[in-house]
Amino acid sequence: MQFGDDASLALNIMALALDAALKASGTPGIIDSVTCYNTLLVEYEADEISCADLRRELKSLLEGIGPLDAIVVDSRVLVLPLMYADPWTKECIEDYRRKITDRPYDPDYVAEINGLKDRAHLARVHSAGEHWAVTVGSFPGLPVLRPLDPRCTITAPKYNPPRTWTPQGALGLGGVSSSIYTLRSPGGYQLIGRTPVLVFDPLSRNRAFKGEIVLLKSGDRVKFRPIAQDEFEAIEAAVNEGRYDYEISAAQKFSVAAHLAWTKTLTGGPPP
Amino acid sequence: MIEILKPGLETTVQDWPGRKGHYNVGFPPCGALDSVSLRLANLLVGNSLNAAGLECQFIGPHLRFTQDAIIALCGADMGATLDGTPLALWQSHAVRAGQVLALGSATLGARTYVAIAGGIDVPPFLGSRATYTLAHVGGFEGRALKNGDRLPIGPAGEARAGRAVKPACRPVIERGRATIEVVVGPNDDWIDEAGQARFFVTEWRLSARSNRVGFRLEGPDWTFTRKAYDKAPENGNEPSNTIDHGYAIGAINLGGQTPIILMNDALTLGGFINPYTVISAAFAKLAQTRPGDRLRFVALEVEAAQDLRRAQDRLCGEESLS
Repeated sequence: MQFGDDASLALNIMALALDAALKASGTPGIIDSVTCYNTLLVEYEADEISCADLRRELKSLLEGIGPLDAIVVDSRVLVLPLMYADPWTKECIEDYRRKITDRPYDPDYVAEINGLKDRAHLARVHSAGEHWAVTVGSFPGLPVLRPLDPRCTITAPKYNPPRTWTPQGALGLGGVSSSIYTLRSPGGYQLIGRTPVLVFDPLSRNRAFKGEIVLLKSGDRVKFRPIAQDEFEAIEAAVNEGRYDYEISAAQKFSVAAHLAWTKTLTGGPPP
Repeated sequence: MIEILKPGLETTVQDWPGRKGHYNVGFPPCGALDSVSLRLANLLVGNSLNAAGLECQFIGPHLRFTQDAIIALCGADMGATLDGTPLALWQSHAVRAGQVLALGSATLGARTYVAIAGGIDVPPFLGSRATYTLAHVGGFEGRALKNGDRLPIGPAGEARAGRAVKPACRPVIERGRATIEVVVGPNDDWIDEAGQARFFVTEWRLSARSNRVGFRLEGPDWTFTRKAYDKAPENGNEPSNTIDHGYAIGAINLGGQTPIILMNDALTLGGFINPYTVISAAFAKLAQTRPGDRLRFVALEVEAAQDLRRAQDRLCGEESLS
């Protein structure tokens, strides 16, 4: 089911609200559902509900959600440490240059095409505001994040051809999305940094995961805290030894109306 | 135990229906690509339909049994032998401790499924024993089998040799071609009329760059409607780029000009359009196609697709055995 043609926060929240309503409705035959920017994908068991009945049910649930500005969702804030322009993604980019095709260094290139002074300016803008978790997927546990502050929007084209490998924990930018590579895997997003913390752990070792295998869920907010290499290594060691304390706020009410009112007060241009 | 003497090209532990209910955190279902063959093999050896077996792709493994067992092989013909004696497909056979089951290259079809009474007893991950090699989870150590691996076998139920799938109930594997049913959409309105007509008249060629993640198709270029060009910048630059959205398994995912059928280990979402979706009941025959094979697509309504799946589920029942 698609709600509109743009990637606005409002449409994503509509998808989240419909997904929550579907789960609460007790509709039979629902196996799984995936929210994304402006869509909700539903997997259902056809022996329990017909396609036509499910379409009708979704339409009626959508009508029941009411006006968009009235929607309030629960949302946590997670602060994740990030080393911008780190040596590991730099090595990955250099490997790509040697083996596949020459290209500029991603943080410099992304800064340039977004009209920012340099890679340090890019890091300041990217870490200035909160990022909304639109969805989790593509690969296991991989969060798709978009900036909530329109002044922090950074756009980036994807690699062509894609990379054959990307280090785990790399922060990639593609379109208007930021993503964290949860596994060493191929990829196409521009690499601007790396986090030492896990957002996906099949063994669910840290209590912050609450027994789940993924840390983030749709509707969470992420703020990136810039760190240097010594802190990266200290945090990485703590993560490996299972003693890292994730910085996660309790769920707060996030109001679409309040958010839209706030964005209207902003003036143009990136933050300093 | 089963000892791996030769792993074959890419042999993995798989089950049916795979890992369900975790698509929302990025886990594809995995599981047998041709689940009809795995289910029939499980029935032959008295297993439940969701027991784990081996999926052997193109070149099968050599296996030594360290215990007596009842086994069955269904799917592609890999010229299987037991201590050198040919072993028929679609039947259950007794294996004695120490005997070696050897599979060769597929001469008809692409994937053979080996079921063992009791099932492959690896620990389930998120409710399934299916291997997901990209994330290194499920199956045997989250990977394809290697020489020297030893697979545990679970306690067998009522199993006996000499059972067979009735000839009329054996899926037919066509040589060199297959007709694959699709439902139209979700993004068919991005393809212009000529492009839609071209999709259905073309004999697409299955690319050698196909695997459990996706089957690539080679054929003519696609042509698009205005929708593919007049769009918000967040859709991306290429005509086939769109805003990230959830992908259904079976979606024909158009990356640039290359259509890729999303198979059991696919990415769960992304930013390319999906003009058509292969129906789940067509996966069994799709899984038996080989690089270079010619694929034709025909369109069905959703309800007709679901009827085919029901018929296929009925086929995977005791009534199909003699």
